[in-house]
Amino acid sequence: MFEVMGIVKKSGLQGDLFLWKAQEKSVEYEAGTFKGYKTEEATGYGLRVIRGDGRMGFYASNSPLKGKELVEKALEMSEFGEKALFEIPSYPSVLEWKNFVDPKVEHIEVREMVELGEYIVTRIREEYPEVLVNLEIVAGLEERSLYNHHEEKLDFARTSFQIAVSVNRTAEDDILEIYAERSWGSRDVDVEDLLQELKRKIEFSKHASSIRSGRYPVIFTPQGVLVLLYPLLYGLNGKNILFGRSPLKDKFGKVVFSSLFSLIEVSHEPWTLGSCPFDDEGVVTQKEQFIVENGKLENGFFDLWSAARLGRVPGGHGFRASYHELPEPGFGALRVKNGLRDRETLVEELEEGLIVDSVLGLGQSNVASGAFSCGIQLGFYVKGGEIQGRVKDVMVSGNVYHALQNIKELSRDDRWIYGKMLLPYILVEPLEIET
Amino acid sequence: MRERLRELIRLPSQGEYLEIRLEKRFFTLIRIQNGLVEKIRQGVEEGGYVRVLNPRTGWWFTTFSGWENLKERVEESLHSSSLLPRSNTGVMHGEPVEDVIVVPVADDFRFKLLKDKVDVLLGYAQILKDTSPPLASFTVEYRDDWREIHIANSDGSILSMEKPDVSLKFVAVAKKGDTIEVYQNGLAEKGGFEVAKGRENLAQEVARKALALLEAPSCEGGVYDVVLDPVLAGVFIHEAFGHLSEADFLSRNEKLQKMMVLGKEVATPVLNVFDDGSIPELRGSCAYDDEGTKTQRTYLIKEGLLAGRLHSRETAYLMKEKPTGNARTISYRFPPLVRMSNTGIEGGLVSKEELFQDVERGLYAVEYIGGNTALELFTFSAAYGYRIEKGKVGEMVKDVVLSGNLFRTLKKIDAVASDFRWTQVGGCGKGSQDGLPTPTGSPHVRLREILVGGHKHV
Repeated sequence: MFEVMGIVKKSGLQGDLFLWKAQEKSVEYEAGTFKGYKTEEATGYGLRVIRGDGRMGFYASNSPLKGKELVEKALEMSEFGEKALFEIPSYPSVLEWKNFVDPKVEHIEVREMVELGEYIVTRIREEYPEVLVNLEIVAGLEERSLYNHHEEKLDFARTSFQIAVSVNRTAEDDILEIYAERSWGSRDVDVEDLLQELKRKIEFSKHASSIRSGRYPVIFTPQGVLVLLYPLLYGLNGKNILFGRSPLKDKFGKVVFSSLFSLIEVSHEPWTLGSCPFDDEGVVTQKEQFIVENGKLENGFFDLWSAARLGRVPGGHGFRASYHELPEPGFGALRVKNGLRDRETLVEELEEGLIVDSVLGLGQSNVASGAFSCGIQLGFYVKGGEIQGRVKDVMVSGNVYHALQNIKELSRDDRWIYGKMLLPYILVEPLEIET
Repeated sequence: MRERLRELIRLPSQGEYLEIRLEKRFFTLIRIQNGLVEKIRQGVEEGGYVRVLNPRTGWWFTTFSGWENLKERVEESLHSSSLLPRSNTGVMHGEPVEDVIVVPVADDFRFKLLKDKVDVLLGYAQILKDTSPPLASFTVEYRDDWREIHIANSDGSILSMEKPDVSLKFVAVAKKGDTIEVYQNGLAEKGGFEVAKGRENLAQEVARKALALLEAPSCEGGVYDVVLDPVLAGVFIHEAFGHLSEADFLSRNEKLQKMMVLGKEVATPVLNVFDDGSIPELRGSCAYDDEGTKTQRTYLIKEGLLAGRLHSRETAYLMKEKPTGNARTISYRFPPLVRMSNTGIEGGLVSKEELFQDVERGLYAVEYIGGNTALELFTFSAAYGYRIEKGKVGEMVKDVVLSGNLFRTLKKIDAVASDFRWTQVGGCGKGSQDGLPTPTGSPHVRLREILVGGHKHV
């Protein structure tokens, strides 16, 4: 692959070549029965070039192409590409990092995955024979390489291990669907903790409950916190800031959220699925970077393209969704700073309100303005500090930029969601509830 | 290629069902933001899968880049499938068919100069730019995607299919203080570059709507009588009933099967719902599904009664019904799942105007942002709406998100107009397979007493 970059260099171009390789194995269970096994091998590459006059081109493929041909294809695109105001960076030569590759995931056998699947199904069924269990266990290895026109090279590899379980309980005119997942870079996934979470949700759903329309305090579970984060992450995206789709554009350095709220990027945290020593443009990531510190907006997510146009320093936020995508602003591993007291205490002290665990219609409102309006998929009514039961046909609405100002408390206990975001329970008040 | 496939499908010797898919894809994306060609890329992709159902075990699925070493892959899959645990499943076999599906297009985007594509799009960007008062930002996004697919299975079928797809999207952002409104609209069709031409009026309309939304108040939450326009009504039926008609939700859930017995009254008699993958010009159509089953029109609801459901070969086997040609995959990287093709509510007898007449206080909900379902509960978001008061359509409102319940909402449809039309833009996600083309069609439809999420400004 150095051949391509040699041609790029000789032609007086700047450029980077992104090489992606992935392997994945998974087992699937449907209604508690083994369904099948899947395996995937995929490779591909994308070449980005920048001409002397700044115009940028890109070409991607997953079949082998001669170096010269590839450069020509990318150059063909550059006729129309907008001028890049940045340069492809030189890669750090002194940087030391290690791959997050767990041999126990890389070399996992089908048998072990099947045994784990059987174990989870059996454990749930022993206690709840009336429910159906669907589950998927996925073990993956992903390798990313970057080459630039300075003929430097960077490599990073990680494994991933994911368990996703959904439990279905069907009764006359009532279908309950409960979902829980654990995702991590190593085989150290706490299955007992996952089973506990499912059990808790099934128990809380035993009774049906109702609530009247009005304004109530709401506790979002770590899974539910995505309702608040989804529009915020959209607003922090450098391209959305650049193109006027974010209300945060002129809010940097200002206090815009509750002082209890801190959002921190922790991209060197071992084994999360967002951790990486550098982004997909070769820009070094930070060990700890405050995005929001005690309510004050400190930083956003800028790739090289958007950073250059906004006059910002790129902080390792250019990520590629696949080999055939150009880098876009994104983030590594995130953490919302937790609070001091247990989630149980938060519930005990709640006179009347809702717990929201999962919703329907996430991201299907006016995300740019921060508005959300979601059907509650799994939520519980709390009265006098006790969970009364599951609510149905209830909607929760509000605006994230107001809600994050109205945080009353965050729990001490937190949990990694999708292996990428460490989130506590968050009590927000008041929000609009309609039923 | 077909000869090679013919040899490979003879390899199973232990009664295995074998399916091979080979796929080549050519794709382009051009995105213009605020008049800058912010993103332009082209590429090719080539890969395939081998899928085996061993009658004594379960499914073995392997996907790979390139079209090499097919014989080894098939042999390894057949062998490895025998080592899996037992899954008690099977497939409904089909008649062997050989066919080649060619889709002629007027202006083949594969051979079109990039410059010609960019010029057309820059023209749209200029229209958005010239909007007065000016937009905070605007985007023109164009995609084309040409797939060449070969499918072969051990029933003896060998099919070659072309799938061209073109989409164009305009996004306009209007801003006033901290209020930001994003409105987008576009189109998608099975066709060539001609689809993307002559859309100046749509670009103007997108700009106008974004600016209008800035002035519109948010909708107050509550229970309303709602008239859905054909676009949103299509999304509604897709979420409210389409997904539950996908038999993989039912095939191993006996309680749900009892609840969903054919002939059961699930809606009011004015409602007729169908799925039809055999309408040639629509994006969700193809003569065969991805398991080589011929596509067809399947009634899901007829005069309010449950009339049918959507099957793959496997769910048909499990439920002892017939495959309906609804096994679809988004690419060679995933096995086919039971999916909708083109789903719609059939036109009724009354005029659109009549639907508004006896609404005392309600909402007219128009176009969509999205929809989401978890079997019983579902939501669908309108792009915007209007208040209806005493039968008259009035003020524009925004942030209109509706919520429904499988067991109740379909029984609240009390009128279906006669102005049926298809909406082709947009895609559906299921499992990890997003963006499958699933057009929806409907006329205007009226629902009584629907829950709408609320925003009150403090």
